[in-house]
Amino acid sequence: MSLTLTLILFLIMDPLGNVSSYLKMVSGLDPKKQHYIVIREMLIALAAMIIFNYLGEFIFSQLQITPVTVRVASGVILFLIALKILFPSPTSLRANLPKEEPFIVPLAIPLIAGPSLLATIMLYAHTEPSQMTMLTSILIAWAAAVIVLLFSEQLQHTLGSNGLMACERLMGMILVLLGIQRFLEGIALFIPLYCHQT
Amino acid sequence: METLQPISQLAITYFLVTNPIGNSPTILALVKDFDFKRQKQIMLREGFFALIIALVFQFFGEYILKLLHVDVFSLTLCGGILLFLVALGMIFPDNDPKKPHEFKQEPFFVPIATPLLSGPGLMTIIMLTAASEQNSIKITGAILLAWTGVLAVMIAAPYLQRILGRRGLVALEQVMGLILTLIAIEMILKGAGAFVKTLS
Repeated sequence: MSLTLTLILFLIMDPLGNVSSYLKMVSGLDPKKQHYIVIREMLIALAAMIIFNYLGEFIFSQLQITPVTVRVASGVILFLIALKILFPSPTSLRANLPKEEPFIVPLAIPLIAGPSLLATIMLYAHTEPSQMTMLTSILIAWAAAVIVLLFSEQLQHTLGSNGLMACERLMGMILVLLGIQRFLEGIALFIPLYCHQT
Repeated sequence: METLQPISQLAITYFLVTNPIGNSPTILALVKDFDFKRQKQIMLREGFFALIIALVFQFFGEYILKLLHVDVFSLTLCGGILLFLVALGMIFPDNDPKKPHEFKQEPFFVPIATPLLSGPGLMTIIMLTAASEQNSIKITGAILLAWTGVLAVMIAAPYLQRILGRRGLVALEQVMGLILTLIAIEMILKGAGAFVKTLS
């Protein structure tokens, strides 16, 4: 498994940021039912991730995309995702959630496995040489997210909503950093390519 | 007495890099929509967040960057870009009449605690001094010492509002946005310069 990849996937899933919206949705249901919902929704999200993992591999090999493109593109995408976490807008999906039991929408997709996560998985699936690494990274990140959501009540209790927000912002910062690093790596790959040709 | 000198020197360096006096008008402009008491609370909270970031970076900074495979210039560039976005928002405020005003989000963690106070400059300096100094207690002491100053300035900042008034603050926001843009571009250029150097 690749640690960075796992971390990136975990950060994009943003389970800590989803804790409060999840709790809002399932408030009133009994704890057993809540755990059942988490596991069901997360399994659906996992299925989506794995499907897109293979889909990405297929699509990008058809399009013959170079590693440079993947790096720059994933850097930009990570950066934009992180900005959304750092500066949340009041019109975002999370701000106006339906207050009912979630089924697939919105918890599994798009809160956990959103378009940004799926796009990132597709991009990384193309660059990662071994499928095994990719799948274990997805699994580990997913398991961590499941644990966070299962213990969401306790987390909310100990950290408070401000503490949770602080953690989320911190993760956003890390994601911004990773995005910029990826982008720079892409540029660093791109420049020698260009110099050789001219 | 001999150990006292470096501690104060380190503390002064940290204090100057954090630049609370220069930053407090900016921070004040960012929190101008909240009442006086709330402003003080925000200031204190952000100050503590910044302190925690500084301490974390003293002990784990190098380790974190290595774990994430992130270079120091990315850190600088990142801080610059985030500050630039904040500065743009200050210069061109979002005056959409359709949006209800109370929706304005309280600044939380970003951008005050980081990257304004505990910015990439401070993180780098702390990491460098922590790497060269054997005695980590000394650096922690210096950080804490610097932070008593920083927090004092931060708490004093809301009183500036009484002098400037509401209109003064609106004007201040734009001016500070301009200055913040300069700081941000400086950071971006520094990061980009360091990056270009690694290429050749």
